[in-house]
Amino acid sequence: MTSSTPAAAAVMIEARGVEKWYPNGFQALRGVDLTVHQGEVVVIMGPSGSGKSTFIRTFNALEAFQKGSITVDGMALSDDVRNIDAIRREVGMVFQQFNLFPHLTVLQNLTLAPVLVRRRPRREVERQALDLLERVGIHEQAHKYPGQLSGGQQQRVAIARSLCMEPRIMLFDEPTSALDPEMVQEVLEVMQELARDGMTMVVVTHELRFARRVASRVVLMADGEVVEEAPPEQFFTNPRHERSRQFLSQIR
Amino acid sequence: MNTPGSSPLQRLRRELFASPLDGLISLLLIGFLLAVGLAVLRWMLFQAQWAVIQANSTLFAVGRYPGDQQWRLWLLTSLLALASGLSWGLLRRLPHPGPAWPRNDRLAVGLLIALAVVAPLALQLQATVQLRWWLITASLITSRWAAGRWGQAIPPALRRWIPLIWPLLYLAGMVLISGGLGLVSVPPSEWGGLLLTLLTASFAILLCFPLGVLLALGRRSELPLLRGASVLYIEFIRGAPLITLLFLGQNILGFLLPGGLAPDRVWRAAWVLTFFAAAYVAEAVRSGLAALPPGQLEAARSLGLPMPLALIHVVLPQALRVALPATVGQFISLLQDTTLLSLIGLLDLLGTARTVMANPAFLGKNGEVYLVLAVLFWCCCAALGLGSRALEHRLNPLSSPAQA
Repeated sequence: MTSSTPAAAAVMIEARGVEKWYPNGFQALRGVDLTVHQGEVVVIMGPSGSGKSTFIRTFNALEAFQKGSITVDGMALSDDVRNIDAIRREVGMVFQQFNLFPHLTVLQNLTLAPVLVRRRPRREVERQALDLLERVGIHEQAHKYPGQLSGGQQQRVAIARSLCMEPRIMLFDEPTSALDPEMVQEVLEVMQELARDGMTMVVVTHELRFARRVASRVVLMADGEVVEEAPPEQFFTNPRHERSRQFLSQIR
Repeated sequence: MNTPGSSPLQRLRRELFASPLDGLISLLLIGFLLAVGLAVLRWMLFQAQWAVIQANSTLFAVGRYPGDQQWRLWLLTSLLALASGLSWGLLRRLPHPGPAWPRNDRLAVGLLIALAVVAPLALQLQATVQLRWWLITASLITSRWAAGRWGQAIPPALRRWIPLIWPLLYLAGMVLISGGLGLVSVPPSEWGGLLLTLLTASFAILLCFPLGVLLALGRRSELPLLRGASVLYIEFIRGAPLITLLFLGQNILGFLLPGGLAPDRVWRAAWVLTFFAAAYVAEAVRSGLAALPPGQLEAARSLGLPMPLALIHVVLPQALRVALPATVGQFISLLQDTTLLSLIGLLDLLGTARTVMANPAFLGKNGEVYLVLAVLFWCCCAALGLGSRALEHRLNPLSSPAQA
């Protein structure tokens, strides 16, 4: 899993020279490049304010960018709404705050988008949703509301909700940062299993053990730029840049 | 809280007579309230002359609606009673069957029966009219009982269509009231009293709600033109007193539209009420939209839902539930604002009351008339308030819906 990906694997995300300014003039991204191949798990780390969340949120157009180009699954991101919706259908996203829909049951959370967007028959989607819930270990909570679940369970539902759209890429924006410590592991295990099944993943996280064990590559961002990009073994044992060493010493 | 041995009497004593000074204040207050209460009661029972109400009860109810056509209103009332009973019973049993007759329901039925017995007697209605009220009450309770008993046996596919009886009934009601489809036409100028009040209020409530939601969404839109237009509209309406808008509507709509097309005076007023209330509903809905964490829309959009679907299925259901109490508050003030129709010469409940009080035969009976008006309005507003609380409770799947 941690070995470098064969060059033949298709490029799933290609970001070139992405720059973003906030309306107040602050530059959040200063020409970021990243290439993600099919089946790769890229972990993005970095101090807070380094632009890592902003960066992965540009992949499904939750954040706009002003310069550079991003191609996702062969589709170039443009301002066209149809293009954006088409990309979002192929890219799942898991948020720090789960963002489950509190007025719908767990099962309805999963089936909403596939039925409305993919126009698949409800019965079929429900069967798939129950399978997915079983896979993330919360089969028996299907008819509860999100507010009745623990944080870890909610995040696993959120992962299952994204998977129900059968995405080709999964983005994780600090998926364990809002969780109580004892619930972090159950979420990481689900993500690890997903990686083992070959899902292409981009993960913003501070979980060193996850990065070490699952990542194909680790990317360190600081001040809106990529500082270092390396396989996890090299990154954690022998980082090339001073900034990486400093960051690792701070979070260890 | 409850210390041992706290019977109601002991608790009263502890709360009202904790110290000598407390006791003195309590005694004075109780005495004052008793005196006022007794005075009001004595006036109501011995001094007030309720003949003014008894003689004009039809006028208060429907204004000058032609007598030979009033059977249409009786029919509408009966249909409303049946539909209410049906909905009431079904709501109690679906989706989760509760007890068939919870305490509140028994209380409500008791009140309905008491009202059906006492009100016609107090108003000294004719025996035939009394009988009709009793039948209507009986049909309401019977359909409540039947729906509660057999509601679950209705197949789900059919059940989904049952709420449709309300919009259908509203349209049928419009036909019954105004005529058409073979019925003799009764022009709006002959509607009056409670009929006119409820009609304009319900018309405005039904239409101002979708309009208000659209305005609230417009105000939060990213399109500058749409946002600007919504803000301008909302702030203009909220900056003008309703009564000036009503006068404006009466005059301007007549000028703007060629003769035959201008709606009748009643409808002009109803439209003005609608546009007026929409601005306030928009602000209530906006507060609900603002209360929603931005992550909800982001999650919906990142699942590939286009904006309209994300609004309909994710944003609005949550925002409207938050905005519900404030919105119903607007509906209640809208109902009360219909009294302003009397100032532009329409015979709503208050307008009818003023013509009655101007009748030499009933000079000086203002107290009786206004008291009845106040009670009628209170009943309508209390019904709206109770309905909103029940809806809020029903829309809330959890005791703590808020999410981390």
